[in-house]
Parts: sequence; structure tokens; C-alpha cells
Amino acid sequence: VVEQASVAHAMDVAEFREELNAWLDEHHDELAPTYDPPGTLDDHIAQMQRSKRILFEAGWMRWGWPERVGGFGGSPMLRTVLGAAMAERDLADPGLYSLVEVLAPTLIDFAPPELAAEVVPRLLSGEEMWCQGFSEPGSGSDLASLRCRATPDGDPETASTWVINGQKVWTSLAQYSEKCVLLTRTGPPESRHRGITAFFVDMDTPGISISPIEMINGAHEFTEVFFDDVVVPADRILGDVNGGWAVAMSILPYERSSCFWQRIAYLYRRLRLLVERAPTDDRSAEVVGEAFLQMHSVRARSRATQHRLAAGGPLGAETSVDKVLVATAEQTTYDAIRRLMPGIAEMDDTSDGEMWRTEYIYSRAATIYGGTAEVQRNIIARRLLDLGDE
Amino acid sequence: MDAADRQMLETAVNDAVADAVASDGDAAVLDKVLTDLGWLEMLDVEPRDATEIVFTALGASNAAASALDDVVVDALGTDARADLAVMLPPFASWQAPGHRDGGPVRAGGIATSRIATATDVLVVGTSDSDVWSATVARAAVDATPVRGIDPDAGLHAVHIEHTAAVTALDADAWQRAVIAGQRAVAHQISGASRSILALAREHALEREQFDRPISKFQAVRHKLAETLVAIEALDAAVGAAWDEPSPMTAALAKAQAGRTARIVAKHCQQVLGGIGFTTDHAFHRFLKRTMALEGLFGSADELVLDLGRQLIAARAVPNLVEL
Repeated sequence: VVEQASVAHAMDVAEFREELNAWLDEHHDELAPTYDPPGTLDDHIAQMQRSKRILFEAGWMRWGWPERVGGFGGSPMLRTVLGAAMAERDLADPGLYSLVEVLAPTLIDFAPPELAAEVVPRLLSGEEMWCQGFSEPGSGSDLASLRCRATPDGDPETASTWVINGQKVWTSLAQYSEKCVLLTRTGPPESRHRGITAFFVDMDTPGISISPIEMINGAHEFTEVFFDDVVVPADRILGDVNGGWAVAMSILPYERSSCFWQRIAYLYRRLRLLVERAPTDDRSAEVVGEAFLQMHSVRARSRATQHRLAAGGPLGAETSVDKVLVATAEQTTYDAIRRLMPGIAEMDDTSDGEMWRTEYIYSRAATIYGGTAEVQRNIIARRLLDLGDE
Repeated sequence: MDAADRQMLETAVNDAVADAVASDGDAAVLDKVLTDLGWLEMLDVEPRDATEIVFTALGASNAAASALDDVVVDALGTDARADLAVMLPPFASWQAPGHRDGGPVRAGGIATSRIATATDVLVVGTSDSDVWSATVARAAVDATPVRGIDPDAGLHAVHIEHTAAVTALDADAWQRAVIAGQRAVAHQISGASRSILALAREHALEREQFDRPISKFQAVRHKLAETLVAIEALDAAVGAAWDEPSPMTAALAKAQAGRTARIVAKHCQQVLGGIGFTTDHAFHRFLKRTMALEGLFGSADELVLDLGRQLIAARAVPNLVEL
């Protein structure tokens, strides 16, 4: 273990990136998407899982993850570099891939160690998909108001099973998932963040039904998930009973660091596609330059955030700044695409038009998902500017 | 410099600059304060810390000093000295201000307050691909104080038409000067922006309407939050211009500074309401100073246009910073 750890430590981030990119170049044909763009959601999921499997077998997918869950250890930044390289090469959609980056750490930090050791490698290797059951019809921005109920079969301290009843919504990719990290109400209805418990639920448990939601871009990434007397063993509790808020909050640093870095890499790729065909006039230069400025500033911000995280600094309210910047830069980039390629989103029935239309529409959600832009500004005002309560 | 040393230096510079401004010190006083703090030695040994600390402090206190001359002269590879002024590019531009077609040196641009006391003026020019500099006696330089938006900024409009010996510089010399100048001005705008935000925040907490401080209103809170986001974007961009120095990262830092300055001014002036529209309140001095600073070493609009042209010409988007 000591020897492996020192090898991992020696794997410096720049060196890793260089070796990874060389390897990805070499294995381009094996990894490249097999579908014609834009591809369906089924295509994207299959592509991501296939890439993960190849990269896991080659070892790349193991760097930055602890050895006790099948990783090679080393800085978590190594896996961020991998995620970004995959996004830059269109090997995996960063929105889909982000579930790895937010859910594996949850299991590592909060699951019984033997459970984490058993299941995390399945997620990393593309054998399984997991989803995140947080939002509910009545609980969007106000997550602590969630109502999906988990009831112990007997005393909460000693019960061997719990029964779950309720509904989740906006659950990404539940229809593809083997497992779900689920937040439930276990305290009194008014207990808010103090009465929430997290479970790791098998999606094939009787009583779970899934209904996909068609988004305005035609994709079915989101679902409603219904729980009707779903029995879950007590050893699938993540963290403590009534300690689920800590589980939910632990996701934030990953979502706001490595996932953002991957999304930024993906958006750089989009900006490149635009720049490759933009007209050579001054209006185009202004539009491209503005998007580039915003993308660069958020990239610089995200880099600083990740160095702070790697140095052991806590990530809290200040990541709301990253969130606002990423969402704004994303929308500016897609606005630039629509401005400089008139009709691409509105009138183009080629696969190219289909891709840009789908992505443009999706970019409008950037200021809604993961905490709305308004909630981020509330957090910045209260916590970073110390303006007190509203 | 370790964190503790840096903290001490930062405190010393901030206090000295703020004290000088509080006692109505003009540019000459501020220059002396910086000299006494060992500014030129700091710039030589720890250019990043020195530039960041001094220019942030100048911005934060709305102090006019001529330290930008030293930054540019130093980047050109010349020894900075108190009696040597430098010609800055014209407003909104970052091109070398000098021209020469075999005849006299012709140049037009901007100078800081240092022009008033300098004995010599350093001017850089380009002819085809050659980069050169000339040191012109102050007496041969036509310099007029610019009142403009901010008479207290100490800026001058400068013209030179004079036969002078020129020295060839290496091809990247002016680029280095632009990088150094853009970073310094970006720090100054960042410092000013944080002071403006502090003023608006304080006002929002104190000013009561409808029986409560206006800081309770979400519309007001969101404007202040947007202001902080814009300042953080600037600090990240200028940090990247030090971590990965290049003409492009520095141009991006200065472009972000220009964009940030306008977001800060717009939101904070709105939050300040009527009082922000009077000379009784300090806001106007920061507003006017940042309007002047926006034009030094490239306006955001000109820089963004140029960056976009570069990307489209290369058909590529460089990552510039990596983990």
C-alpha cells in the first residue's frame, strides 16, 4: 500500500494530462462515438459507459480515487483532468458524466466501507449507472422541505428495514440506473434539514416506478420516480439517520469543482466548433471575443477553486460565484452560436442543426439546475456580503 | 514571499496609501510614500506581490501615483527611476505610441503625473517589425494636463516630434510592457471595485425605506451579489495573467477589468441612489477614476474585438490555463 501510495503521489497532474492525452490520441478509433451526431440519449449513455469501461480497464479511470474502492489513489484533480479530456473529445457528455463525480464520493464518504468497495468500481467501470433522488414536486430550490417519507420497521435505531413512500422529480437518468442515492424525510414534517436521511436504493426494488419527462429539447433525461411501499435494508443508509443533509451538502464541492471544470472543457469545445466556421468579420470577432472572455474568466476561477479544494480548504458559499459564472458563460456561448449561425437552431434539419438546437435549448437550464441563479445570488448576498437575512 | 510577510507588506502599503489620501496627498506625496516603502526594490525582487499589493491599494484608496511608469519601464528592461516618465498608448489602445520613418520620432499618447517632474520621457515605437525606444528630454515633449472625467487622475496628453537617437529593443519588449501594464491597471480597477462595493453595501445596510434597510430587498441584494461575481471574475483573470503570462492572458485580464468596472459602477450607483449622484459621497471619485483607468492599455471593447479576430484567424481557442 505504501509503495502504491507513493507511486500515486508521484503522478503529477501535468504529467498525467500529457500521458493521458497521448493515450487518448492513440486509442481514438476505439473510443470515438459510434453514432452519428447528435445521437440519442441512448447513444450518449452507451458511449459514456463504453468509454468508462475502456478507460477503467486501461487504469485511467482509477486515478484520483481511493484504493479502498478500486482506485489508484493520487490527487482528485487527476480524475478531473480525465473528465475534462473526455468532454473535450466528446467521449462523454459532461452532464451525464457528472453523476460519477458527485455520487461516487458520496458512497466513499458515507456508505459502510464494504458497500462502497463493492459498488463504486461498478460505477467507475461503466457496469452501472446511478441516479440522484433529491428534488420533489414541492421541493426545488428549497430542498430541505422534501417530503418523500422513510419509515423504520420498528425502532429507528435497530430497525432492519425501512419503507419508503413518496415522489421524486427531475431525477436524471433514473430509467437507466441500477442504483439511486435518495433523500427521504425521517423526522417530523417541519424538521427541515434536521430530519432527512439518505439511502442507497436498488432501482429494481418492487414498488419503484419511473416516468420519463420530455424536455423542451425532446430528450428524456429527466424522470419522475414514484416510491410505493419500497422496502430498503437499514444497511443501505448513507451516513446517520436524520443526517442526510450532510450527505446532500457533501456533494456540493464536487459538483462545483470537478464537474464545472468538465463542463467548461465541453464549452471550450463548443466555442472551438463555432470559431472553426465563424465569418471573418468584426461583428463575429466581437461575439466570439466576448464568449471567450467569459469562458476564460470562469476557467481561471474554476482552476483557483480546485487548487483551494486540493489544498484542503473547505468549499462553501464562494462556489456560488463559480455557479453564476459558469451558467452565464454557458448561455453567452450558445447565444454566440445562435447569433453567428443564423437559423442553425431554428431551421436546420441536418444532424448539425439537431445538435445545436438541442444544446442551445438545454443551455437555457444552466441558470435553473443545480440551484437557480437567484438562489446563488441570495447565498452570495447573505454569506459572502454579510447582508443579513432578507 | 511567505504568507505572513505578504500580509505585513499588504497592511503597510494599504495603511500608508490610505493615510496619504486621507491627508489630501497628491501624486507627488503618494510617489514619495511608495518610494519610502521600497516600491522599486519590491518590484525588482517580487514583481507579482509588489504590483498586486501596490496597485490594489492605489485603486482601493483612489490614490493617484505614477507607479505605472515604473512597471512599464521595468518591463522594457530599463532601470526605473523617479525622474523617468514613460509614454503610455493613447486612450483605449495598447499599441506602442511611437512612429519613425527615418526622420524624427513622432509619438502621441498619455502620461501619468510623473511627466510634471520628470527630466526624461521614454517612448517606445514600432517600425515594420522593429521595436525601438528613445529617451527624449522632457523639454522637448509637449504635455498638457487632461481634466477630462477625472482631473485628479493626473493624466496628461503627450505629443513628441523630435529628432532623437533610438535604441533597438528585442521583438517582445513592447509586449512585455503591455502585459505588465495591463496587469497593473487590472489590479487597480479590482481594488477600486472592492471599495465601491463596500460603499454600496454600507449604504444598503444603513439606508432605511419602507421601515427597513434597503439591504433587505432582494433586488438590491442581487445587484450587490452580481457586483461581487464580476469582481471575482476579474481577480481570477488577473491571477491567470500572472500564473500563465502571455499577451493573451494579460489582454483578457484587462478586458475583464473593463467589463467588471462597468458592472460595478452600474449596480453600485443604482444601489446608492441619490447620494451616489452627489459629490458629498465618495462614489463619484471611484467612478471617474475607473472610467479613466478603463482606457489604459486597451479598452474592453477593443481588446475583445482583437481577441475574437485572433481566434477566428487561427480557427482555434487556446485553453491558456490548465489544472
